Amino acid sequence: MTRTVLVCCGTGCLANGSKAIADKFEALIAEKKADARTECFVKRTGCNGFCENGPLVKIMPDDIIYYKVKLSDVEEIIDTTLIGGKPVERLLYKDDKGRPVTKQEENPFYAPQLKTALRNIGFIDPLKVEDYLAAGGYEGLKKALTMTQDEIIEEVKQSGLRGRGGAGFPTWRKWQTAREQNAEVKYVGCNGDEGDPGAFMDRSVLEGDPHTVLEGLAIAALAVGAEEGFLYIRDEYALAVKNVTAAIKDAEAHGFLGDNVMGSGRKIKFSVVRGGGAFVCGEETALIASVEGKVGEPKPRPPFPAIKGAFGAPTTINNVETLANLPVILRDGGKKFASVGTEGSKGTKVFALVGKVKRTGLVEIPMGVTLRHLIYDIGGGIQGDRPFKAVQTGGPSGGCIPENMLDLPVDFDTLKAKGAMMGSGGMIVMDDRSCMVEVARYYIEFLAEESCGKCTPCREGLRQMLGILTDICEGRGKKGDIELLESIGEMMQDACLCALGKTAANPVLTTIKYFRDEYEAHISGHRCPAGVCTALTSFKVEADKCKGCTMCAKACPVGAVSGEVKKPHKIDPAKCIACGSCREACRFGAIATEGRKGK
Amino acid sequence: MIITIDGKACECEKGEFLLQVAKRNGIDIPTLCHHDGLPGQAACRVCLVEVKDGGRSQVTASCVFPVDHEIEVSTNSRKVKEERGMVLALLRMRAPGSEVIANMCEAYGAPKIGRLKPVVDGDKCILCGLCKRACASLGNGAIETLMRGTQKYVGTPYDQPSADCIGCGSCAEVCPTGAIEMKDEKGVRTIWGSEFRLVYCRECGKLIGTEEYMKAAGNTDDLCDDC
Ligand SMILES: Cc1cc2nc3c(=O)[nH]c(=O)nc-3n(C[C@H](O)[C@H](O)[C@H](O)COP(=O)(O)O)c2cc1C
Ligand code: SF4
Ligand code: SF4
Ligand code: SF4
Ligand code: FES
Repeated sequence: MTRTVLVCCGTGCLANGSKAIADKFEALIAEKKADARTECFVKRTGCNGFCENGPLVKIMPDDIIYYKVKLSDVEEIIDTTLIGGKPVERLLYKDDKGRPVTKQEENPFYAPQLKTALRNIGFIDPLKVEDYLAAGGYEGLKKALTMTQDEIIEEVKQSGLRGRGGAGFPTWRKWQTAREQNAEVKYVGCNGDEGDPGAFMDRSVLEGDPHTVLEGLAIAALAVGAEEGFLYIRDEYALAVKNVTAAIKDAEAHGFLGDNVMGSGRKIKFSVVRGGGAFVCGEETALIASVEGKVGEPKPRPPFPAIKGAFGAPTTINNVETLANLPVILRDGGKKFASVGTEGSKGTKVFALVGKVKRTGLVEIPMGVTLRHLIYDIGGGIQGDRPFKAVQTGGPSGGCIPENMLDLPVDFDTLKAKGAMMGSGGMIVMDDRSCMVEVARYYIEFLAEESCGKCTPCREGLRQMLGILTDICEGRGKKGDIELLESIGEMMQDACLCALGKTAANPVLTTIKYFRDEYEAHISGHRCPAGVCTALTSFKVEADKCKGCTMCAKACPVGAVSGEVKKPHKIDPAKCIACGSCREACRFGAIATEGRKGK
Repeated sequence: MIITIDGKACECEKGEFLLQVAKRNGIDIPTLCHHDGLPGQAACRVCLVEVKDGGRSQVTASCVFPVDHEIEVSTNSRKVKEERGMVLALLRMRAPGSEVIANMCEAYGAPKIGRLKPVVDGDKCILCGLCKRACASLGNGAIETLMRGTQKYVGTPYDQPSADCIGCGSCAEVCPTGAIEMKDEKGVRTIWGSEFRLVYCRECGKLIGTEEYMKAAGNTDDLCDDC
């Protein structure tokens, strides 16, 4: 029989040494020749999305998946699994009840997931077009070549696919507009800017399955009648740039792209454009300006890019994940795709689940799943079983959703109605030790630096909001600040030139809406309820809860905690810098916070 | 096509920008970054109006809003006044040294918000970008908007005197707030950290421009247009 060793070589696992592991597998397998009856291959795959437990190694067809594999584990895996056919128990994942699980789909992190955009990642070698073909690749393009432009657009319309880049705009409609333009030259573009801090959905697809993005973009090209396209990828994504560049070359060599696509006589040429990495360059008109070699500033719309885009030609820009869904839609039909999801949001969505959950990583779930399911079942709940406070969705200009909305379905329209947004799929979970004013301040600071700075409301609105939020966090908040933040924010929603500015106030407006008491506590109570803002926090040991374990004293960086073993400890307020290290260290919840009224 | 602006029926053509239509009909809309020769900047956002279209209403910049079908426009609805007022209040902090902004704030009732902080005392630039576009449209490209976000400013590359600047002064001329310092003294013009020798008409003595400007314009004769 043959066994395949799939070594995860996504950016996360590579950083944890997976390349050396793959090399060692190869070397040792060659040396041992495994067993006369088992022939073994090693495959380097893209990101499996569970990076915190990497490096991941899968053995097929046994369907065994190992986590946190070390170089020193390789030999045992070869002996026990590749030759012996048995799992190495200590490298298996332990589920929530502590039972080891062998198969990937038994792991509670993966079990509820449904993969469409990520379907191949972790199973194929991104650099081998043969792997992609074996997984049904380029079937969608092949089918599209037999269809008219209108038929392709109709198929995508049936699928209900909406853009995954943030706005959720129906993909077919954008294409239809571009298709209707009478122009000699048209362009299709892939948006791989992914500027949200902490997001890596698109990077993972570009790195782990570049051909699916190319196939999706080629389908888009056929639909709108373009012969040329570009993939705009941020420069920091070196591996993505490399894999996509190699995939284009390969696809051309195999006739899936180039002057005569699959013998149809059609021409489709793609090139990679490396982006400078500003968040605002993800906005499509700024992206187009950047592709044209101009400063990455958004332009007023209309004219919409589908009518007048890159170099004045009709241009459709689609997100990486949007494109990754298209080969499946064409291959299996739009109806099948539409059978998953909710009324207004079809298919699946990839999220980068991060923050204070027990399991973090990249997950793909059907639209309409509840936030609770995502956070508690897939994410395993809050670290240390602390209380959940909020989940921030939609990237920097998304919003914070409170506990009482956890049963809401995750889809484009629900999140928007709550003042947040789907965005490209960032999902940051926060516990009771997150200060919502500080969270808002953090995002506004990011946006103040990352907006293009062209229009007044966004640039100056963000500047002033940042000043006020910083004041509130540092104990200089004033009565009326909340209302002022609201009126600046509401003005920005209308008056800004592009969607960055129009949505930039979301973190502020949603935290005010759902956590107003926390703002008030800062301003009037001189107290940060979460114990985060140092100017508004003091820590004290609750003597009845303290067991005298000394952990807090060891954790304090300035030696402000004193006490004897097994006796209640004490914090010297004169020395305390309110960093909260003691509270993190205490396992008995004996360290409480209070305000700093005396200041 | 007829649209109504502040209740007045205004004749216009499809694709015309709202600001244009309003101006032609004598309806006042304040602007800062708009320049007929360099349209489409849409950066200052003081030209906000409210557009009612069927049941929907939106506040939007009139200078880049193309009329597509019959709509109802208001230049002084409560929402416009509030939001434009806030934009102006922000601009007053951005350019505390500008009289133009101070007057506009007065004229359009911008609220005085003591809580807002001025950015740079005495600064006049509102970052509308007209200067850079004027310079670029003349083919010089001597100045740029540098950095992004709240750090953005207008300047020469690396803040060094630019070899591309011909001292024509077009940037200073289009600047709505007079933020660009240009000094003509003793036959020398100083702008953007460079000095240029001035050329005067040999007949009437009128200022024609800088030597570099003359060269760039292919003008070898020191005679002004009138002489
Ligand atoms: C500030 C800002 C940043 C954006 N960043 C991205 C991005 O990184 N990737 C992306 O695909 N879309 C991004 N978008 C959305 C794009 O403008 C555009 O809507 C999208 O690429 C269209 O593709 P889709 O219809 O497939 O979603 C951003 C939008 C804004 C306003
Ligand atoms: S809203 Fe912000 S990012 Fe968009 S054009 Fe204005 S300044 Fe630039
Ligand atoms: S004076 Fe210099 S910077 Fe100003 S427009 Fe002329 S060439 Fe450009
Ligand atoms: S200097 Fe004047 S023209 Fe240039 S950006 Fe500033 S305000 Fe606008
Ligand atoms: S005049 Fe319209 S945005 Fe400046």
